[in-house]
Amino acid sequence: MPVPYDEMLDPAGAPRAHCRPYYGWLREQPAEQLARKRTEADALFHRLGITFAVYGENEGTERLIPFDIVPRILPAHEWQRLEAGLKQRVRALNAFLADVYHEQRILKARLVPPEQILCNPQYRPEMQGVRLPGGIYSHIAGVDVVRDHDGNFCVLEDNLRVPSGVSYMLENRRMMMRLFPELFARNAVEPVEHYPDVLHENLKSVAPAGATDPTVVLLTPGAYNSAYFEHAFLAQQMGIELVEGQDLFVRDAALYMRTTRGPERVDVVYRRIDDDFLDPLTFRADSTLGVPGLLTAYRAGHVSIANAIGTGIADDKSIYPYVPDMVRFYLDEEPLLNNVPTWVLRREKEREHVLAHLPDLVVKEVHGAGGYGMLIGPAASRAQIEEFRGRIHAHPERYIAQPTLALSTSPTLVAQGLAPRHIDLRPFVLSGREVTVVPGGLTRVALTEGSLVVNSSQGGGTKDTWVLGPDWSQARDETL
Amino acid sequence: MQLRIIHRTTYRYEEPVKYTAQTLRLTPRREGSQRILSWTLKAPGRRTEQTDAHGNFTHLLTIEEPHREIDLEVRGVVEMSGEEDFVSFDGTLSPLAYLAPTPLTVPSPAMVDLARTHLEGPGSPRERLLALAGGVYRKVRYTPGTTTVEDSASVVFERGQGVCQDQAHVFVACCRAAGIPARYVSGYLCSVDGAESASHAWVDAWLEDRQGWLGIDVTHLEPMGPKHCRLAVGRDYLDAAPVRGVRRGGGREEMDVSVAALTSGDQ
Repeated sequence: MPVPYDEMLDPAGAPRAHCRPYYGWLREQPAEQLARKRTEADALFHRLGITFAVYGENEGTERLIPFDIVPRILPAHEWQRLEAGLKQRVRALNAFLADVYHEQRILKARLVPPEQILCNPQYRPEMQGVRLPGGIYSHIAGVDVVRDHDGNFCVLEDNLRVPSGVSYMLENRRMMMRLFPELFARNAVEPVEHYPDVLHENLKSVAPAGATDPTVVLLTPGAYNSAYFEHAFLAQQMGIELVEGQDLFVRDAALYMRTTRGPERVDVVYRRIDDDFLDPLTFRADSTLGVPGLLTAYRAGHVSIANAIGTGIADDKSIYPYVPDMVRFYLDEEPLLNNVPTWVLRREKEREHVLAHLPDLVVKEVHGAGGYGMLIGPAASRAQIEEFRGRIHAHPERYIAQPTLALSTSPTLVAQGLAPRHIDLRPFVLSGREVTVVPGGLTRVALTEGSLVVNSSQGGGTKDTWVLGPDWSQARDETL
Repeated sequence: MQLRIIHRTTYRYEEPVKYTAQTLRLTPRREGSQRILSWTLKAPGRRTEQTDAHGNFTHLLTIEEPHREIDLEVRGVVEMSGEEDFVSFDGTLSPLAYLAPTPLTVPSPAMVDLARTHLEGPGSPRERLLALAGGVYRKVRYTPGTTTVEDSASVVFERGQGVCQDQAHVFVACCRAAGIPARYVSGYLCSVDGAESASHAWVDAWLEDRQGWLGIDVTHLEPMGPKHCRLAVGRDYLDAAPVRGVRRGGGREEMDVSVAALTSGDQ
């Protein structure tokens, strides 16, 4: 495997230009001082209650996501390129969704095989022909990007349904400012704190026509959901009601919220529950999390839902390989951000190549989520590889394959001190009247076992993500 | 031929229900050989009319006040004329949307075999589909009272018994397994004296060469005819059920259904 790209240090071990001030400061910090700061961070996160429920372990187990105090730093020019690529990609994905649920031009042009879309469980016939304000489907997109060994950003996954994690972006920044206020005086880090305001404005901008001063609510599945902290946090930050299905009801094809002052009309639902649970009269009949009749109000155009129903058809792994073509088809532009090279195993030539190189590749099940149904060739046993070979032969259309990526690294504070650890990035792209990206995102870091962060021998941690202001870069370049 | 239909459904509850929401698919579709001459719905609460994704006429009914009973009545006259077992494509939802299995219509390997046996034989697409209906008819014997809830197609197939709804699910699952779009149809079966009239379920299978749907009554092993009044179609029962509802409170529920669906002579 090629040597990974390090975000902070060049191959010779010297800090990259934009990291020099921070790295200089970091090297001056005594080891005990850093260890103390980390302990302080853990204690603060505990007190704030930012934990997440872990499924498949003891019921009700809650864990702290380890926070690494070394930030991931992006210079202005890199961010600008990335931002332009993200906006372009999400524009194309929204155009694709609008097309799939209306004219289906891309299917008629045979750019995407119609069965791939129309027979996909993520395609929602209920959305066919439904007009949405602004034609926007994915109002909030969490696009997972990684950097390859050459330092090029590429997209690993588009999350267009109910992407989570933005509360960590906000809390990690708050934590860093609290722990290291002096760093923010020295480094011109672009702010992210205004994200909830931008989100609120974005949601209001997609309210049904005629709703002046629209009412937005955040619909949560409830306190037992692993992301409940985030739901409560965002509702509070936006100053909107946090509601559960039972707090809402449909009357005459409009949505209302029960309040102590009587029913209050709701114009926009920022929902954090999956399509399947939204309306028991249309989707899963056993769902008690949704609102009976919501789909009727939605189809009548009397309420907006963010993200729209049916966005899963655009972030399905079987559709991912077509996204660069969508950019060309809908925007008549070349993609600024590439996909990770992907082989579609339905295609015979690509399948042959993959079957000949299984030990080197990552194979993913197209409808799988969360790493089940996935083969990581270099880490797999012979038996596992053979098992997957059999599965691919039986159902090639269910799989895609990608090279094993040398994800970029960033220095991370582990037991032995600073050591490189692999990272990714999830920026949040908001689409409404316009497309905006708050400069930053959620950086996740893969920590190894034996790390000093006791509660996370498995699983990833997070880092604050710094995007440096353009003024700073110019100023530094002149003085250096 | 004219069909005169009166359909009453009464729900009674042990305790007061605090809130009810129901989707009603109790208005005949305007398509194929059927034309609505008159149709009325009587129901309590608030109602919103809407056409759903499958082209069904629906009413969303909500009752916010406590109640112990819900009375639904539809009645009307439908005229049947023209080609009785065929409905041409209406241009909305692509037939491919009826090709993917739903949780109720996942085929078992034995069903895939059955589909292959009948659909890959000689004869026209129409003949082969009717042959498959025969296969399902013999494999899943019509046995009233065998189901009360929605059993999945493979469960029904294994049991070998079911009601019209189950036979329709098995047929639909088999068709899709063989790459032929198929959908569930709910409606009324009318008779001369009304004695055998009932709510009924059958299927539509896609005829690629004619770009439309062939209606097949699996339970009676015959093509759809002038006595079949179509209320709703969908991927399975859940999309097309005449009434689908949720309620808060109420305890035990009793349901009374009466259908009088009469054929009345010639025009």
